[in-house]
Amino acid sequence: MNSLSRKRFWTVVVAGGLLAVAAAYLSLTNGTFDMSVSDVVKTLLRIHPAPEHDLVVFEFRLPRIVLGALVGFALGVAGSMIQGVTRNGLADPGILGINAGAGLAVVLFMLLFQGSITATGWLGVMLMPLFGAAGGLLATAAIYMFAKEAGRLDPQRLILVGIAIASGFGALTVYISLKMNPKDYEAAVVWLAGSLHGANWKFIVTMLPWLLLLPWICLRSRALDLFQLSEESRKGLGLNVEREKNIILLCSVGLVSASVAVSGSIAFVGLIAPHMARRLVRLRHIHVIPVSGLIGMIMVLIGDFIGKTVFAPAELAVGIVISIIGVPYFVYLLIRARG
Amino acid sequence: MRYKRTLPVAILATAPAAIVLLIMASVLYGAKHISAGEIWNAVVSFNPDSVDHQIIMSSRLPRVVGALLIGAFLAVSGALMQGMTRNYLASPSIMGVSDGSVFAVTLCMVFLPSANPNVYIVSSLIGSALGAAIVFGLAWLIPQGLSPVKLAILGSIIGTFLSGTAHALSTYFQVSQNISFWYNARLHQMDPELIRLSIPFAVAGVALAMGVSKSVSALSLGEEVATGLGIRTGLTKALAIIAVVLLTGVSVALAGKVAFVGLIVPHIARFFAGSDYRWVIPVSGVLGGMILALCDIAARFVNYPFETPVGVVTSLIGVPFFLYLIRTRGGTQRE
Repeated sequence: MNSLSRKRFWTVVVAGGLLAVAAAYLSLTNGTFDMSVSDVVKTLLRIHPAPEHDLVVFEFRLPRIVLGALVGFALGVAGSMIQGVTRNGLADPGILGINAGAGLAVVLFMLLFQGSITATGWLGVMLMPLFGAAGGLLATAAIYMFAKEAGRLDPQRLILVGIAIASGFGALTVYISLKMNPKDYEAAVVWLAGSLHGANWKFIVTMLPWLLLLPWICLRSRALDLFQLSEESRKGLGLNVEREKNIILLCSVGLVSASVAVSGSIAFVGLIAPHMARRLVRLRHIHVIPVSGLIGMIMVLIGDFIGKTVFAPAELAVGIVISIIGVPYFVYLLIRARG
Repeated sequence: MRYKRTLPVAILATAPAAIVLLIMASVLYGAKHISAGEIWNAVVSFNPDSVDHQIIMSSRLPRVVGALLIGAFLAVSGALMQGMTRNYLASPSIMGVSDGSVFAVTLCMVFLPSANPNVYIVSSLIGSALGAAIVFGLAWLIPQGLSPVKLAILGSIIGTFLSGTAHALSTYFQVSQNISFWYNARLHQMDPELIRLSIPFAVAGVALAMGVSKSVSALSLGEEVATGLGIRTGLTKALAIIAVVLLTGVSVALAGKVAFVGLIVPHIARFFAGSDYRWVIPVSGVLGGMILALCDIAARFVNYPFETPVGVVTSLIGVPFFLYLIRTRGGTQRE
C-alpha cells in the first residue's frame, strides 16, 4: 500500500512537471513578438544571441514565467496547509482575508513612500514583501482574535471572520488608494487586480527566501495528517495541537503574503489546487503538499498564458482567468461530494 | 406580543420627520455650501439660471432620495432573505445577488451599447435573479448548503466568478471604464430619470414583500411549524425571492454594489420590532434608508473635499457589526 501510493506520487510529480514545462514553453514562444523554437533555445543557450531576442526572453517572458511558477507553487502549498489545519475544504487564503491584509499593507506602503521609493528599485522591491507579510500577519492576528473561543480555534467561525476581515480590509484599501496621487493610483490598481504584468528578476529574488520554508513545512506534514483525526485522538497521541496549528498557519501566511506582495491577489489557486492534489495522491500531506504546489504552478502558468494571448492586445489578469475556469470545476467538486 | 408593538410604531411614526431632517442635512452639506433658505426657494420657485438651484435639483436632491430608496430596498431584501432561510448572514451583497446584476449589466453594455436606461434596469433584474438562482440552487444541491458558513462561501465564490467574468468581458470588448461606473457605488451621480423609471419595479417589490411578511414570520420559525400553521411554504419562498430579486435588481441598477446595508439593518430592526416580519420589514426599510443616507453624508467628509465611495463607509461600519454577529451566533443555523 505504502509503496503503491509512493509510486503514484512520483508518477503525478513527473507528469505535472512535464505539464508545467510545456506550459512554460508555450508562454515563452508565443506572444505579441513571435519567436521560433530554435530562436528561444539559441537565446537560452547563448548561441549567436540577437539583442532583440535577449530583450524579449530575459527581460519580459522569462521573469514572468519564473515568477508565475513560484507564486503558483507558494499559493498551492499555503492553500493545502490552511485546508489541513482548518479541516475545511472551503478554506482559502483569499477567503480568510490574508490576501486582503497583505494588499492593504502594500497599498499603504505605496501611499507612504509616494514616488520616493520606486516600486522597481531595489529598496522598494525588498521592502514591499516585508510590508505585505506584516499586513498578512495583522489580518491573521485579527482573525485569530475574533475566531478564538475558550482557547480553541473554531474552523467554522474562522472562515466567517475571514470573510468579514477581507471585506473590511478591502474597503480600507479602496479608501487609501483614493488618497494617492493619480500616477501611484494607477500602479496600485493594476497591482491589486492580481497580475504578473510587472514581473522582473528582483521580484523573484524576494520570493526565494520564503521558499526556504518548504522543507520545514514538509517536516510538519505528519502533524497535518494527525489534524484530520478527532480532537481527543490528537491529544492522546501527544501532539501539541495549538502550537502546531500556529506554526503551520504562520508558514502559510508568510508564503501567501510574499506572493501577494509581488503579484497582487490571485484568487482560487489556494482553494482548488489542494482539491485536485487530494484526488490525485490521496490523503497523506507529505504527498499532497508538493503536488498541490505543482498544480498551483501549472494553473498560474496556463492562466497567465490564456490571459495574455486570448485577449491580446489587452491583457486579462491571471487571477480573473483562474476564477473563470476554476469556479465551475470547484462547484462540480462540491456537488460530487454530496454522495 | 402586543406590548412590543409600541416601539416599532414609534419608529415608523417619527420616521417622516427624521427623513425630512436627513434630506435637509444631505442637501445642505457638501463641497459647495448652500444656505437653508435656498433649498426652499429651489423647490418652490425653481430658477434655471441659478447655479445653486441647479445643484439642488439635479444633484443633491436626487442623491439623497436615491440613498433613502436604495437603503430601504436593500434592507427589505436582507430581512426577507434572513427570515426565509433562517440564516443570520443572508443578504444581497454576500449572497452573490448583486454580482449577478453587475454581470448582466455588463452583458447588456457589451451587446446593446445604445440601449435606453430601461433596458439596463431590466437586465439588472434578470442578473440578480440569475445570481440568486445559482447560489440558492447550489446551496440546495450541497449537504447543509443553507448553513451560514456554506452559504457565505458559496455566495462569495459565485460572486467572484460572476464579477470576474464581467471584468473579462468588459476588458475584451473594451468597455471596462463604463462598467466601473456601475460597479462602484455611485450615489453621487444619481440620475433622476433612472429613479423615475425604477419606481414601478420597486413598488411591486415592496408590495410583494409586505404581502408575504406574515408567512415569512411563520417560515422563520421553521419549515415544519410553517406547514403546521397552514402556510404554503413553496409559494411563500417563491414570492419572497421574487421580491428580493426586484428590490436588489433595482438598487444595483441605480447605484451599483452597496455592501452590508442588507446584512446589518434587519438585525437592528429585529432588535426593535421582535420577530414579527409584518413589523420587521417596514422598520428595516425605514432604518435602511436613513442609515444609507447618513453614510452618504459621512462619505462626503471622510476625505473632504473629495467624495469617498459610500460602499467604503458602509463597510467600515458593517465589518465590526458582522464580526459581532459571528461572535455571538457562531457558525450554526439559527435555532
